[in-house]
Amino acid sequence: MKLLSVRDLVLDIGSTPILGGIDLDVDAGQVLGIVGESGSGKSMTALAIMGLAPTGARLGGKILLKGADLAGHTEAEMCAVRGGEIGMIFQEPMTALNPVMTIGDQVAETVLVHQKRSRAEAREIAGQTLERVELPQSRFPLNRYPHELSGGQRQRVVIAMAIALRPALLIADEPTTALDVTTQAQILDLLARLVDEDGMGMILITHDLAVVAEHADRIAIMRAGEIVERGPATKLLLNLKHPYSKALFEASNHVPARAGPPKNASDEPILVARDVVRDYVVPRTSPFARPGRFRAVNKVSLQLNRGENLGLVGESGCGKSTLARAILALEPLQGGQIFLQDRPVDAPEARRQMQVVFQDPYGSFNPRHTIARSVAEPFHLLGAAAPAGSERADRVALALKEVGLDPKDGQKFIHEFSGGQRQRVAIARALIISPALIILDEAVSALDVSIRAQILDLLAELSDRLHLSYLFISHDLNVVRAVTDRVLIMKSGEIVEEGETAQVFNDPQNAYTRELLASAPSLDEAIARRLKHA
Amino acid sequence: MSGPDTSLWFAARTSRSFVLGATLTGFFAAVALVSLFWTPYDVTVLDIAGKLQGFSPAHPLGTDHLGRDMVAMVMVGAQTSIAVAFVAVGIGVGFGVPLGLMAAANRRTLFDEIIMRANDLIFAFPALLIAIMITAIFGPGAINAIIAIGIFNIPVFARLARGGALSLWTRDFVMAARVAGKNKAKISFEHILPNITNLLIVQGTIQFSLGILAEAALSYLGLGAQPPLPSWGRMLADAQTMISFAPHMALVPGLAIVFTVLGLNLMGDGLRDIFDPRLRRSRQ
Repeated sequence: MKLLSVRDLVLDIGSTPILGGIDLDVDAGQVLGIVGESGSGKSMTALAIMGLAPTGARLGGKILLKGADLAGHTEAEMCAVRGGEIGMIFQEPMTALNPVMTIGDQVAETVLVHQKRSRAEAREIAGQTLERVELPQSRFPLNRYPHELSGGQRQRVVIAMAIALRPALLIADEPTTALDVTTQAQILDLLARLVDEDGMGMILITHDLAVVAEHADRIAIMRAGEIVERGPATKLLLNLKHPYSKALFEASNHVPARAGPPKNASDEPILVARDVVRDYVVPRTSPFARPGRFRAVNKVSLQLNRGENLGLVGESGCGKSTLARAILALEPLQGGQIFLQDRPVDAPEARRQMQVVFQDPYGSFNPRHTIARSVAEPFHLLGAAAPAGSERADRVALALKEVGLDPKDGQKFIHEFSGGQRQRVAIARALIISPALIILDEAVSALDVSIRAQILDLLAELSDRLHLSYLFISHDLNVVRAVTDRVLIMKSGEIVEEGETAQVFNDPQNAYTRELLASAPSLDEAIARRLKHA
Repeated sequence: MSGPDTSLWFAARTSRSFVLGATLTGFFAAVALVSLFWTPYDVTVLDIAGKLQGFSPAHPLGTDHLGRDMVAMVMVGAQTSIAVAFVAVGIGVGFGVPLGLMAAANRRTLFDEIIMRANDLIFAFPALLIAIMITAIFGPGAINAIIAIGIFNIPVFARLARGGALSLWTRDFVMAARVAGKNKAKISFEHILPNITNLLIVQGTIQFSLGILAEAALSYLGLGAQPPLPSWGRMLADAQTMISFAPHMALVPGLAIVFTVLGLNLMGDGLRDIFDPRLRRSRQ
C-alpha cells in the first residue's frame, strides 16, 4: 500500500479552479519532488493534503494516507493528523517560529499537543529531536530563542518541530528558498538523511529543478493546477516528454547568446573602485559607550570595462548590496574612491551614466504613479537638459519598446503588470538616460525560471547593442555563470577571488569559492550523477 | 474590467460604518452651513418672557434660560465647533506633516532627534492644562482655543507622518528616485506624501472629533468661544444649574456633540478599512 495516494484532487476557490485533478503517490522512504513556477498550484496541493486549504475553497477527490481518506476527516481529526502523521516545513524560517518562545518549548509543544506526556518528557524528546537535526544541546541549549540563531539553524528548528513525532509523511514547501546556497546544501542533506533514518515519505516542493534533480526519487512537474508530467526521477529527467517540462528544463539551463565585450574593452574602464571602505554604526552596548562600527565593505577594489558584464557573487550579509549603494553614491564612504568614467561617482556627470534595477519587481515602483512617469524619473538627472513635452513622451515610448512592452502601457499603473513585465519596466527606467553602467542587484532572483530566461536574453541583447556594462550582483551561481564575463566572489566584505567567469567556475582557487560552487545545486551535475548510477 | 469591483468608491458604498459616519457628519456639516444663511430665530435676540420652554411647534427643541431658540443655538454652535476643530486639525497637518516628513528624510540625525523629542515634550503635558494656560495668558476666545487645540495636533501628525515615511524610505522605488538624483524634499513630496495620505485622512477624522470634544471642554470651562457666540460646550455649562427643571438644555447640545463625534469616529473607522487594500480584497 502506498503511504499517500492522492486521486483526482480538485480545488476551486469561488468560481476559479485552482487544482484540476491531481494524482500523486508517495512511498515510505521516498522523496517526491513537485516542481512548478509560481501559481502552478504546488503549494496549494500541499495545503489541501494538510486540510489547510483557504476558507471558501471547495475540495474534491481522495487523499488517502495509509488507506484512510483525509478528505472525509473532520477538523478535529485533521488536527491529530497534522504534526502527528504529517509534518510540514515552510519556506520562511523567520516567520515560522514564535519569537517569544524558546526553541525547546516550540519543539516540545508539538509533542504535548499530540501525546499525553509530562512537560519534562516532552522537553527530553525536544532535546533528542534537536540533536537529530544537528543542533547539539551543548551549543544550542533548549532555552535559546529563535533570534539567537542563524537562518539555517532556525530552519533546523522548524524541521525538528515537524519530525518530533516521527511522522509518516513530511511536506517541505520551498524549505531552502530563503537560505544561502551553502546552508541550502546542508539542509537538503539533513532532510535526505532524516528520510532515510525514519523511512518517512517526503514531498519536496520547489521551483528549482536542480534541487529535485539532486534529491527526489520521483518527480511531478506542475503547471496551472495540473501535473503535466510525472515519473521516476532519473527516467523523467533523461527523457522529458511534455513541451512545458522541456521548456522549463531549458529555461533552467538557459545561457543567453552574447557577443561579449569588444576586444579592446580593457582600454576603456567604465567603473574603477579603489580600496572602498564602508562602515556602519551599530547600536551602542551601554548608554554611554561609543557606538560600535561594523565594516560591511573592507578595502574592495574593482574595475569594470565598457560592454563588460561583471558578476559580484556572495551570500547574504557579505556586503554586496552595500557596495552597490556605495557605487551609486547613495551612501558615504569611509575610505577609498570610486570613479565612473574618471569622475567621482557623486558628481552629477557621473550619476547620469549609471542606473540600477532592483530585485523586487513589486516594490520598485511608486504604486501611485503611472508607468510613464516612473520610467521618466531619471530624466531628473539631466536637469534643464531633460527632454520635455512630446520628445519626453517619445523617449519613454522608445524605452518601453526597447524592453518589449507596448508604448501604450505607459498610462497604466504598476499593479496591472506581472512580475516579469514589471522587471521590464524597471529596465526601461534604467535605460532611459542611456547610461554606460547598469547595476543589476539580484534583478532576476525573484522571477520564475522561464521569465528569468527571457529577462536574461533581453539584458544580453541590450548589452551587446548599446555597449552597456553591467555589474551583475547575485547569489545565484548558475545565472552568474551564464551571463557574466568576469566574476568577483565576495565574503565578509572582502573580495576573495576574482577572474574570468569560466576560469573561476572551472578552477576555483579560494576555499570559500570551492565550497560555494560545490553547494550550488546544478542540474547538469545531478543528471550526470544519475546517469552514472543508472 | 471583469472580476470583483475593488474600486475605492465600491468599498466606500458597502462599508457600513463609513456610510453611517459620513451621513451623521454630513448632516451636522450641512446644519453648520445652513446656519451661515438662515436660522429659525436670531441667537443674539433675547426673549426673557419665553425662557426655559419645553418642546413646542414654535420651538421644536425648546428655549434656553434667556429665551433663545435651541434649534438656532445648536445650528450656530455647530459652526463654532466645526470651525474650531477644522482649523485645529489644519494646524496639526500643516505643521506636523512637514516636520514628520523632514524628520524621516533626515532620520537618525540631530534634526530628527530634536523634532521628535520636542514632540515628546508636548505629548508629556496634559493637553487641557496647556490649553487653559494659553487662554489664561492670551485671554479666552475661539481663536486662542483653536491655537491651543492645534498645537496638540502637531505631534500627532508629525509622529504619524514620520512613522509612515520611515518604512517608505526603505522601499526600492525611493531608492530608484535617489538614483535619479532627486533630493530629499522632492522625494518626500512626490513619493512619500502620496503614499501616506490614507493614514493622514484617517487620523484627520479622528483628530477632528477630538477637536470638537476639546472645544466643548474649553467652552464649558468658559475658555472657548465667548458670548454672544453660541457653542455646544458653553450651552452645556449654561444648562448645568438648571438641569433639574430644564433637562432639554443639556440634552440637546450634549446629543449634538455625541452624534457628531460618533459620526466622525465611524467615518474614520470606515476609511481605515476602505484604504486598506488587504481588507478591501477580502470583501469581494
